[in-house]
Amino acid sequence: MGRRKWRWLLAGSAAAATAAAAVLATSAYGGHKASNILLDGTTETVTNIDPAGNYDYGTATVDYMIFNRLLAAGPGKNLAPHPELATKCYSVGGLKTWACNLRKGVKFSNGDAFTSADVKFSFDRTIKIADPSGISSLLTNLKSTTTSGPYKVVFHLKHAQSTWPQVLTTTAGSMIVDHKVYPADKILPSTSSQVGTGPYVLTRYTPGVSAVFTPNPHYWGPKPKNSGLVITYYKDSATMKLALQAGTLDMAFDAFAPTDLISLHKSSAVKVYVGAGSGIRYLVLDVGKQARKLGVPTGKLAVRQALAYLMPRQTIASRVYHGQVSPLYSMVAKGLPGHIDAFKTLYGAKPSLAKARAVLKKAHIKTPLKFTIWYTPSHYGAASADEYAEIQRALDKGGLFHITLQTAEWSQYVNTLGTTKGVFQLGWFPDYVDGEDYINPFYPKGQFLQNGYNDPKMNRLQIKEEGAKTAKARIAVLKQEQMLAARDVPIIPYWQNQMVAVARKNVKGITSTLDPTYIMRFWLLSKS
Amino acid sequence: MTGTSLKAYALTRLALVVPMVWILLTLVFLLMRVAPGNPISAALGGHAAPSVIEAITHRLGYDKPMYVQYGDYLWGVLHGDLGHTITDRRAVSSIIVQNGGATLELTVFASLIALGVGLLVGLLAGRYRDTWLDVGGRLFGIVAYATPVFFLGFLAQLVFGIWLGWLPTSGQDSPLTDAFLRIHTHILIIDAIWDGDPGALGDILKHLILPATTLGIVYAGIFIRLVRVNVIRSLKDDYVEAARARGIRERSVVYHYAFRNALVPVVTVVGLQLALLLGGAILTEETFNWPGIGSTLVTYLADRDYAGVQGIVIVFALVVVIASLVIDFVNAFVDPRIRY
Repeated sequence: MGRRKWRWLLAGSAAAATAAAAVLATSAYGGHKASNILLDGTTETVTNIDPAGNYDYGTATVDYMIFNRLLAAGPGKNLAPHPELATKCYSVGGLKTWACNLRKGVKFSNGDAFTSADVKFSFDRTIKIADPSGISSLLTNLKSTTTSGPYKVVFHLKHAQSTWPQVLTTTAGSMIVDHKVYPADKILPSTSSQVGTGPYVLTRYTPGVSAVFTPNPHYWGPKPKNSGLVITYYKDSATMKLALQAGTLDMAFDAFAPTDLISLHKSSAVKVYVGAGSGIRYLVLDVGKQARKLGVPTGKLAVRQALAYLMPRQTIASRVYHGQVSPLYSMVAKGLPGHIDAFKTLYGAKPSLAKARAVLKKAHIKTPLKFTIWYTPSHYGAASADEYAEIQRALDKGGLFHITLQTAEWSQYVNTLGTTKGVFQLGWFPDYVDGEDYINPFYPKGQFLQNGYNDPKMNRLQIKEEGAKTAKARIAVLKQEQMLAARDVPIIPYWQNQMVAVARKNVKGITSTLDPTYIMRFWLLSKS
Repeated sequence: MTGTSLKAYALTRLALVVPMVWILLTLVFLLMRVAPGNPISAALGGHAAPSVIEAITHRLGYDKPMYVQYGDYLWGVLHGDLGHTITDRRAVSSIIVQNGGATLELTVFASLIALGVGLLVGLLAGRYRDTWLDVGGRLFGIVAYATPVFFLGFLAQLVFGIWLGWLPTSGQDSPLTDAFLRIHTHILIIDAIWDGDPGALGDILKHLILPATTLGIVYAGIFIRLVRVNVIRSLKDDYVEAARARGIRERSVVYHYAFRNALVPVVTVVGLQLALLLGGAILTEETFNWPGIGSTLVTYLADRDYAGVQGIVIVFALVVVIASLVIDFVNAFVDPRIRY
């Protein structure tokens, strides 16, 4: 290569490098950076934004921005159902029929007027579509929906249900869509334009990448305190934590690994906010014939009670989760009306080897009892392995049990649950923040755990609770159910989570939306 | 050697693509069905009664005999319909276009870095054999190839993203660029240029540096060793000795004679490395939260989303099959000894 050629090559390279440096140095969208657009990160995923196919937390977070429900729960301590698109919901001649008066003058984000036809359409299509997400299962008690004029809707139930207003606070069809836009018999793809009455309009959605929101010009309520929102989706909390520390994000919430959260607590760039949570973790025990079939000793009540005596709740909360969860002594989350510490009453606050030994001795059960406990290693966070190592250690300690741990990834783990696994880990996040949603899916006949538990008294209590005419009467039944559940021990609840949000210091208003409903109300947040 | 013509060879090679792809389609279909778990229980198993799971499984046809499902699946593929994913209802074709753009951007830049670093270090190591340059180059090549891509990525994130604060740690662009850049091709660099938006282009390039360099450096290790060995061998060949004997300057001998010839096997390896590069891209995408087709595949695998996994694997397979086909044609064209 001649000298002249080299010179040209060098000059060209220098020019290219200068151009690249200039481009890299250019600040992207500098004008927008100074604005009040909120940048949020999450590790949750989005399935179907269309409310008729939304039954997961990540999608619900998006839907709360775009759509409204008839009734809302929260923020703060106002957890009882209160008006959103409905001005009032009330039972008509018993608890089998419920009517809702609707807010007038509400418009969808495309300018269409909101009427009772949209409400009927939304509920009908959720049931008709019966999406694989399972959201329609929350409406199994709904026989039909009728309208009475443009601003009144009537729900006809199959059987009496005192908690129907609570169902109306969930995403189950109660997120109202525009009947002129959404197909009646199929899901509108998430990448299509979504039309709701909520505080924001979804202006762009790139699956697995981001969701971009701008304020809804037709919104009937107070305008959002920010000029827009971008939610960026992350695969894991470690990467999201780095983005938060590097200043790419203004805030993130939920799903931080315990170690990431400790690191964020120490960071001066961000602030960690903690509020009441409603997610719980529990251990399912097969009972009766089913336990015998699977070769686990939990078919015997004394064995289940001995396990309840030994559950190391405090150790898990402090050693595994560093205080980011709190010990739970009932299936109903602490802080909800009707919660009682039933397991603490029956088995004590701390593990008791002596009482566990005594209950097994009284039942003439030979020890050590050998069996396998199943858990899933990533679905509930990477800390599950440490959690179950602690449980194994606590149960093995006194020589009463000899536990083997076995794991399976979620898609394999949940297949057939109690019919193939005798003792196994699960977690629960409520559809609505009411004690009922922590009891009915787990104990009465038809429960999804398939662990063989079927107690006639519990089944009778369920019917009594659903038909209770006053809140006081219903809560009394919920307490009886919790005591019965603790006595029979088909499930051992052991911790309850907290709602965690981490934000840079210029983000304001986070504490106003941290409550057991787990809804991040972005419209209440601002940047200074 | 059978003495068949290049045309016959090309036709035979093309015809073999069909059974190759069919076998792959069948294997993926069977593996997904044989693996425990299914998309319905994965989505609902934590909160729905068995009767609900059964009803939905029936409605979607996943309780049909496997041969019926297989027939439906092949029929769809033959008609160019890869279907929709079960978990999030995305058209598989749109996943390929949208997420494929991100993977293409990453792999192209990673290949350029792998080739640039690999050729330069390999050439210097071969040219200055047994000097400190050679030892350093070899060591770098071995360490680069042996280092897991996610580990290197994590180190790069910590050093350049957090400690030095020079580069973004994750994503294909910043949230604001993502919100305002108009999408034309789903290859963001092209979209930014298309829109004449230097701000967005700078942001996208900044985001590309760490993932592309991480993936590129790992694969540069292969090229370093290959180029070095070929340069050393070429420098001993008769035509190089003849060039030297003719009084041609050593620099010209190395760059014009030895290096050019040493590159021939590299071209073949570049194509063969494509499959490895795609595999590496999956890990890189996971590490850097890169929204490519590889990280999407991991998500659908975890959810047992048959349609999503099958569609993406078909694309991966086709890319590798087409790349090998092109390399075979090029080799057959260049070297007449290669025939079936």
